[in-house]
Amino acid sequence: MLLEIKSLDSGYGFLQVLWDVSFFVDEGEFVALIGPNGAGKSTTLKTIAGLVEPQGGEILYEGNPIGGLEGHLVCRKGIAFISEELNLFVNMTVKENLEMGAFTLKDPAKQAKNLEFVYELFPRLHEREAQFAGTLSGGERKMMAIGRGIMSSPRLMLVDEPSLGLAPMLTNEVFKALRTLNKRGTTIFLVEQNVGKTLKTTSRAYILEKGKIILQGKSADLADDDHVRKIYLGH
Amino acid sequence: MVNPSTESAIDKIDQTIEDTFAQKAIRWLFSAGGMTICLTILVAIVATIHKGPYILVNTVITGGMWALMAIGLALLFSVMNIAGFAHGEYFMAGSLTAYFVFLPISNYTLEHPESFMAYVGPMIAILAGTLMCAFLGILTERLVFKQLRMRNREGWLLNCFLITLGISIIFQNTHQLGFGADFKGILAYWDFPSVPIFGVYMSIDRICAFFIAILTMIGFYIFMMFSTTGKTIRAVSQDEDGARMVGISVDTVHVVTFALSCGLAGLAGASLLFMFPSYPTVGVMPLYNSWFIIILVGFGNVAGAIPGGFMIALFQVITRSYMGEGWEAVIPVLLISLILIFKPSGIFATKVRTVWDE
Repeated sequence: MLLEIKSLDSGYGFLQVLWDVSFFVDEGEFVALIGPNGAGKSTTLKTIAGLVEPQGGEILYEGNPIGGLEGHLVCRKGIAFISEELNLFVNMTVKENLEMGAFTLKDPAKQAKNLEFVYELFPRLHEREAQFAGTLSGGERKMMAIGRGIMSSPRLMLVDEPSLGLAPMLTNEVFKALRTLNKRGTTIFLVEQNVGKTLKTTSRAYILEKGKIILQGKSADLADDDHVRKIYLGH
Repeated sequence: MVNPSTESAIDKIDQTIEDTFAQKAIRWLFSAGGMTICLTILVAIVATIHKGPYILVNTVITGGMWALMAIGLALLFSVMNIAGFAHGEYFMAGSLTAYFVFLPISNYTLEHPESFMAYVGPMIAILAGTLMCAFLGILTERLVFKQLRMRNREGWLLNCFLITLGISIIFQNTHQLGFGADFKGILAYWDFPSVPIFGVYMSIDRICAFFIAILTMIGFYIFMMFSTTGKTIRAVSQDEDGARMVGISVDTVHVVTFALSCGLAGLAGASLLFMFPSYPTVGVMPLYNSWFIIILVGFGNVAGAIPGGFMIALFQVITRSYMGEGWEAVIPVLLISLILIFKPSGIFATKVRTVWDE
């Protein structure tokens, strides 16, 4: 098991958002966490990535506890987090952003290889490599953030709402890139609101409502589940 | 054989590129920053012709040093969001350290005027002042700002403002308690005759101060743009969470930033010891000047601090020579008030804004 969350409680100060959340992600899997607004999906990812401190429970990565570690140490263990806000370095060029993504890699040959792969995955970024990240369009920024995550050769990628605010065409492109990445062996844990597309892409999914996991299973099975169909798919 | 239509198309593309470049230049000239810089250069030239070249010389020497101070202040603001009102105290600490390091050196060179210490000694004193302040900066960060960061819930900016005022009082009184309130100054670092430059006799100290400022700025620019540490500092200043997400230790960057920023203030203090003898409140004037600069160019604009330093220096030199010493503090304050009212983001406010801000 690559990532295992055991009865995690988390939140901001007095506001507890997650209550006794448990799930796991195996090596090489493509798993989704689905839920309505305010269910605590982003908090889950931020807690794993070390940007929010857990209030209880355990986070195990490769069997070692990483709960409460600072963000940069979590990243150095091989977990890349692509946040909803993207957190790009807006006054740096696209290329500099990508190079910063490879900050934890000391081997320049590997950096160059990753850069080549990112450009192959998102040719648009190659065209704009000298442009400031702050001048990119919404879709390009999304690609930029995912590319920056890839640059550190992570074993596990936590992706928060890649389809948010994107046109359907671009959403497809981003999902395609994530699938390619997964096929190359990167484990992906995805948080999404676009339930239909997510369940078609991923292999397993968890459903989070009001800070608790209420359903889990294979994505194909969940797509047939009555609750999911009624609440999320609308038919 | 090139198809004529392709050729004309290429011409057209070339023209559009040229056009956009010319347009860019014109747009820059008419922006607040461009206009101010052109106006500054114009005023400098006119004043030099009218009153003699010493105006330019004075501007360039003090301007470089104020720019160093302002760079440090802008760095603190952009990376850690600290409004540093204790920055002048590092200037004071730098000059004090340089004084005490230089004292035995100058005694030695009095006895052996031909030894190499006459050339290298001042450099050692200036370096000592810089390193001492960098060390004091690290100490301040660890003992004060890290603790505050760990415990602070809200009102970070106000808390920092109050804390830096407190640090400033502590530094000033420590100086008075330990070393007394009298002037601790030197006549000259390099005891050589002045050299004429454009008809103005300049002491070696002033020439050296100018070159120290210029070289430090160039070095600082290279450090920030091309070194890994410099890039991490820029990354943290642009997005702290983003920096954490790519594996940068924000804590380390804070220490480095503080050391750098205070080191620059110390360098300015140590290099200007021959103009500003060390006493407890010597840092107040440089502190005000560097605040003028960063208000002028926009908060946290590190690169803008360099032209800003020269502008403020020119402004003061001109005020002094046309209106008299007493007006030197009045006119810049007036200018700053006007800028805060009409252009609060400073004259070089950057245009790049994120999608989420809009």
